[in-house]
Amino acid sequence: MAVDVVSEIFARARAESRKTLTLDEARSVLESTGIKFNAYAFCKNLEEAIQAARKIGYPVAMKVVSPNIIHKTEVGGVKLYLQSELDVVHAYEQIMENVRKVMPDARISGVSVEQMLRGTELVIGVTKDAQFGPMLMFGLGGIWVEIYRDVSFRIIPLERVDAWEMIHEIKGIAIIEGARGFEPADKKKIVDYIMKVSELVNAHPEIAEMDINPLMAYQQELYAIDARIILE
Amino acid sequence: MDENIRYMFHPRSIAIIGASNKLWKVGHAVIANVLYGDCLRRDRTLGYKGKIYPVNPNEDNVFNLKCYPDVLSIPDEVDLAVVAVPAKFVPGVIEQCGQKGVKTTIIISAGFGETGDEGKRVEAEMVATARKYGMRILGPNCLGIYSLYEDLNTTFARAMPMKGPISFISQSGAFCASVIQYSLEEHFGFSNFVSIGNKSDIDDADIIEYFATDEHTKCIGMYIEALKDARKFLKVARELCKKVPMVALKSGRTEIGRSAAKSHTGSIAGNDIAYEAMFRQTGIYRARTMSELFDAARALAYQPPPPPEGGIAILTNSGGPGVVATDAASDLGLPLAKLSDATIAELNRVCPPEWSHRNPVDILGDASPDRYSDAIHVLLEAGEVSGLIVITAPQAMTDPETLAKRIVEAAKGTTKPVIASFVGMISSPAENYVEEQGIPEMSFPEDAVLGMHALVHRSRILRREQIWQ
Repeated sequence: MAVDVVSEIFARARAESRKTLTLDEARSVLESTGIKFNAYAFCKNLEEAIQAARKIGYPVAMKVVSPNIIHKTEVGGVKLYLQSELDVVHAYEQIMENVRKVMPDARISGVSVEQMLRGTELVIGVTKDAQFGPMLMFGLGGIWVEIYRDVSFRIIPLERVDAWEMIHEIKGIAIIEGARGFEPADKKKIVDYIMKVSELVNAHPEIAEMDINPLMAYQQELYAIDARIILE
Repeated sequence: MDENIRYMFHPRSIAIIGASNKLWKVGHAVIANVLYGDCLRRDRTLGYKGKIYPVNPNEDNVFNLKCYPDVLSIPDEVDLAVVAVPAKFVPGVIEQCGQKGVKTTIIISAGFGETGDEGKRVEAEMVATARKYGMRILGPNCLGIYSLYEDLNTTFARAMPMKGPISFISQSGAFCASVIQYSLEEHFGFSNFVSIGNKSDIDDADIIEYFATDEHTKCIGMYIEALKDARKFLKVARELCKKVPMVALKSGRTEIGRSAAKSHTGSIAGNDIAYEAMFRQTGIYRARTMSELFDAARALAYQPPPPPEGGIAILTNSGGPGVVATDAASDLGLPLAKLSDATIAELNRVCPPEWSHRNPVDILGDASPDRYSDAIHVLLEAGEVSGLIVITAPQAMTDPETLAKRIVEAAKGTTKPVIASFVGMISSPAENYVEEQGIPEMSFPEDAVLGMHALVHRSRILRREQIWQ
């Protein structure tokens, strides 16, 4: 039962008086709704990281895992497009050095090694409005959302037609449809993912905020790469 | 829908609490409006025809009607009570109305929720009293309502709008009076008109639920500062919008606008991003200004949505307004029709050789009513034309009244929308004539384009499920 998984994770976070779920928890919650993530392994040390990279296949990304660090990029805790074992070793050492320098008190549990996908970066987010309640945001993700704010909003719960319309409302729709050499994404799949998020939040009003960013459109599939869920 | 709300618009009997013979009292204006439709008239042909019971312990008769000391003394059922007494007496009056079995009470009196927490508390108590008796409350702090097809005016405003297809809700009272004045100038009419006040009980969603069942209502217009139950409104409006076109002006779009709204009605205007999302989800056409609100409402009330194929044609006797209209259409993303060779050949037959040979279709300064009529026929029959804007700049050779008649004749029988613009003319017989015949007329071409945009939006809303499938 998907709902039980979600409720259990929320209960555990509350019991530990945490509002922000760990990436692992957020993954489990979203995966229970059918949202796919890129291949991923949590590694406690460099040896495990090398093993994981070999298993997942290059290129991979490496990110620091720490309960104290939310903005991993800002502390130098993210390394992308690692092509070889040598890259993995270097990345691991640099991440450890960077984090110890910037946040010497942070407890480092290890690193995550992830399948590196190159595609169109999308974002699905959720915030709460004082009058309308939970509201869903869709747009181009990654740096696009930070710089251009090319996003559209709908009040949760959405109907499928709302999801379809909000996808077409953003200026970047041409990119999603495959303009200028971009690989076209499957819009019906994007609708499916938007609806999964809408249904999850509608069933769990205790979710205060969420975002899946980036959500990678890659070879007619969608993969969540990073996700954040914050409870009330 | 709550039947009590239907009784508010169709009461069999009305008690006016605070009815007075003293000129300048609100209760005087209210009973005069109920009796005569317009409080400055003194014959009842335009007034409410049901039973009227004035209530005031200090009067024996009001306008020659027996006056009762309180609502409980009225020897008859009372469907609707209108309360115009000082705030401190209102809670007692509400208790009596409840006991009497009144179905809905309109509280015109101000001095409640809009004044602060104490006022909010009194308001909540009155609503609790009303609930106990199964009664509904409109207001407090409102102007009242018009139910035009009942010849019912319960307001204290000095104006009576024409009967027509628009039903309107306003969160601002004085706005109502201005809107009525404007409607009289522009010659369009209303089915119902509601000043909704503090929304202590009856809210926007309740009112639009009734409007959607009203046979005369062809379009619902709204002025909103803040919704009371935003989620309920979204749900209700989304369903109703499939049936009746709706247009809304939501103020407080900007940070400064929001703080102005807060000091006006004490309401929190909210996050505009969320309101924008709501408008898109419900299918309500969002107006950004007062003139857009009524340009869109008139277009939606009087004209059909265009077919999905093709674009808009602009017919004009003057280049300038044609270009202005074209720019306005382009700004709104409204596609213009590309005239086919067949249509151009047809127009060649009915126009002098100097006509523009493209859209906008400029049929020249000396265009006669006959030339307009011929061109309208050609354009409305063209497959590439989904809707038509007819612009006339008054020139020496133009006879606006004959032209108005020919426009109406030529547009008869078409299923495509037609909007007219007699540029720069206001309240002329020609404009009034086309408006009465169901063709909205706007004084400036860009307003006509906005009206057409609202119709294209409506057409898309009605087909949104097919578009997505």
